[in-house]
Amino acid sequence: MNTHLVSLRSYVLTWLALLGLTVLTILIGFANLGQFSVLIAVSIAAVQASLLAAVYMHALFGPTLVRVIVAGGIVWFLFFLTQTLGDYMTRGWVPFPGK
Amino acid sequence: MSEAATLALREQFATPRQQRETASIGMWVFVVSEMMIFSALFVGFAVYRLSSPHPFDIGSGEMELTLGSINTVLLICSSFTMALAVYNAESGNQRWLVLFLLITMFLGSLFLGIKLTEYYDHFRDHKVPALWFHYAGSSAGKVQMFFIFYFIMTGLHVIHLVVGLGLLLVMVVRSLVGAFSPEYHTPILMTGVYWSFVDVIWIFLYAIFYVPGFHIK
Amino acid sequence: MLETVQTPSKPFEAVHTPVRKNYFNEKQGILSWLLTTDHKRIGILYTASVTAFFFIGGFFALLMRLELLSPRTYLVSPETYNKLFTMHGIIMVWFFLIPSIPNTLGNFFLPMVLGAKDLAFPKLNLLSWYVFMLGGIIAVYTLIRGGVDTGWTFYTPFSTTYSTTYVVAAAVGIMISGFSSIITGINFIATIHRMRAPGMTWFRMPIFVWSHYATSIIFVLATPVLAITLMMVAVERIFQVGIFDPALGGDPVLFQHMFWFYSHPAVYIMVLPAMAVVSEIIPVFSRKPLFGYKAVAFSSMAIASIGFLVWGHHMFVAGQSVYSSMAFSLMTYFVAVPSAIKVFNWAATMYRGSISWDTPMLYAVGFVGLFSIGGMTGLFLSALGLDVHVTDTYFVIAHFHYIMVGGTVMAYLGGVHYWWPKISGKMYPEFIAKISAITVFLGFNLTFFPQFVLGYLGMPRRYAAYPEEFQMLNVLSTAGASILGVGYVLPLFYLLWSWKYGKVAPENPWRAPGLEWKTPSPPPTHNFEVTPTVSGLPYDFEAQKEELNLV
Repeated sequence: MNTHLVSLRSYVLTWLALLGLTVLTILIGFANLGQFSVLIAVSIAAVQASLLAAVYMHALFGPTLVRVIVAGGIVWFLFFLTQTLGDYMTRGWVPFPGK
Repeated sequence: MSEAATLALREQFATPRQQRETASIGMWVFVVSEMMIFSALFVGFAVYRLSSPHPFDIGSGEMELTLGSINTVLLICSSFTMALAVYNAESGNQRWLVLFLLITMFLGSLFLGIKLTEYYDHFRDHKVPALWFHYAGSSAGKVQMFFIFYFIMTGLHVIHLVVGLGLLLVMVVRSLVGAFSPEYHTPILMTGVYWSFVDVIWIFLYAIFYVPGFHIK
Repeated sequence: MLETVQTPSKPFEAVHTPVRKNYFNEKQGILSWLLTTDHKRIGILYTASVTAFFFIGGFFALLMRLELLSPRTYLVSPETYNKLFTMHGIIMVWFFLIPSIPNTLGNFFLPMVLGAKDLAFPKLNLLSWYVFMLGGIIAVYTLIRGGVDTGWTFYTPFSTTYSTTYVVAAAVGIMISGFSSIITGINFIATIHRMRAPGMTWFRMPIFVWSHYATSIIFVLATPVLAITLMMVAVERIFQVGIFDPALGGDPVLFQHMFWFYSHPAVYIMVLPAMAVVSEIIPVFSRKPLFGYKAVAFSSMAIASIGFLVWGHHMFVAGQSVYSSMAFSLMTYFVAVPSAIKVFNWAATMYRGSISWDTPMLYAVGFVGLFSIGGMTGLFLSALGLDVHVTDTYFVIAHFHYIMVGGTVMAYLGGVHYWWPKISGKMYPEFIAKISAITVFLGFNLTFFPQFVLGYLGMPRRYAAYPEEFQMLNVLSTAGASILGVGYVLPLFYLLWSWKYGKVAPENPWRAPGLEWKTPSPPPTHNFEVTPTVSGLPYDFEAQKEELNLV
């Protein structure tokens, strides 16, 4: 069975893309974007992570189940993040004093 | 079907394909559980960053940005060489497989060395929370919080990396004794998934700890 | 095809039948047990462990209830009382309830119910038991050194800064036992996906599998968060940094978010396997297929998913934002729906069925009633206004004990009795088992129903002393607890007795249709002589009647 799940070309292109996105992240860091710089850096990191998972970890080339499992993990992390931050961000919203 | 593949078939499985797919499912579910470990820390970090953005920026400014960036590049390259190792396992090229596994280990060890250097520098600069921390300025407590998360999260990552290096070593030894073939190289695949996952975590750590520092400096 | 059954003439006359080779006697000697990778033997190892922990945790409950006989402290000091309720909670939650059904009955029967030879990763299965025991030994060590007094919830900053007890040791023990859960979850998920018998599609799997699948998802997604949270408590305590301690710049509510993100789904870990067992017992003892199979299967998944979105209902009075609390309250109402769907389906299964009241059925029906009460009182607690009144009172305690004890423990005992013939090859003594089940049911209600009233009247939880006017209800509760204790100790004796002296069990004493009954009792090491193939739906009593030629 000499067939490759993923081609050499895909591996090389992914490698170059990952390096390029890292450079982009550094440039974002230098730009004066205030608090958005972390958000954008994390978004770029998410793209890099997706490439790593899809190509190097074979998520894109394996059974659908793997993609479902990964998506599940991401969704659960987002559940945790949004509902916790939701608490902190809505604390000041009550229009009467004392809470 | 080669002898190596038949010998490796465990009793509870009916076919090698079933064994391979089951191993893959198991590894990915494990990866998701690891994601949740780091998730909890990312959520905690997010909460504190939201409440004290400026002290956290100062904390990022104290990071060694060049070393951190080199580390990111090192791990990305090591994921690439790991993928090449998998490629050669699929082809049955034992020599190239071992070579790329060794290069991956080398790059991972370089990362480790640089990380430990950074830790030492933080120690020298009095930035280790509780044990040796000094920050002249208001909101020292919040800057210390940044460093608490930094040490816990990168420390946990280092532990996972060291385990990865151990796994790679085991794979090198097994490859050298000819345990793998084009029909059976599932452990190499699984090691690849684990190693790339270690890289994924680092990329996010780099984004939250180092990137804001570029602007400060 | 029923084997001939021999009845002993005297209670302690051993039954001598030629013993077939099975998983229990095939290999002998202690090493063959300690190094086994057979899921059945590992299930037995776990059963021994969780039984021991159950009685340890129960012993603390006994001491607590004795202390609460009097409004003033007389038996133990308040500080010791704090340690009692903490250790009771820790041992019962992490070392009994969470592993109870999945690691005992789940380990033993998941492969059999699927028609598989073993779990996907047998060696990992053995590792999970050793990891569990390591965590358990550390917990016992904590006990011996003097215990912990923070409550099983480890709220900060008491746990991180002010408590003078063995918090770090307890945290480490729990964290380690958590890894055993994660390993089990990975094993079950992989097994269910890839090791089903030929012909068993997802919708031909018994509900036992669906519920364990949902449980495993929670194991894998929630437990890691607990591990990290406890680790951070330990780091904070050892290094005196301020992650959760406000005096050091930390946020105690963040601890609660992180703790409850795990601990709420954890309660679904405790109840889903119990529902799995009940879903197997009720159809068999009603001689009717489970009503609404797909609804029950999907509701297991719904409970696991929605259960992750409700954790803030433990924090309504903790300083959480009002809008966040409203969102959590709404989601908590939603999560009750799939549980209710299950209750309706169990009732509908029994309707016009041919009911036999053997012991497993007594426990299963008891579960349905008590779980319903526990679940409905959960709805009272999800209402924001009501919760402010009854939070941190005995109302909450009664609510969760109705589910965990009236629910999970009864389902566990029901499952053990139901599958006892398969596991041991012997029948348990039916009459005394029925007495035991009824004792448990009556003792349970006497223990915990007064606690609803106590809580509503305002008696706070975790208090060693209380106002005089609450004494009567507390005495009733303690009386109930003694009766309940008797009901729990009896099975220990008669089940072990039956292993040696009980009637030999046939292959399928309940005439149940599951795959696990198509193999001898006790099963051979490899589970099935021939790998079964599945072509019909689960709970197919009609097909079974034709097969057995009994009309």
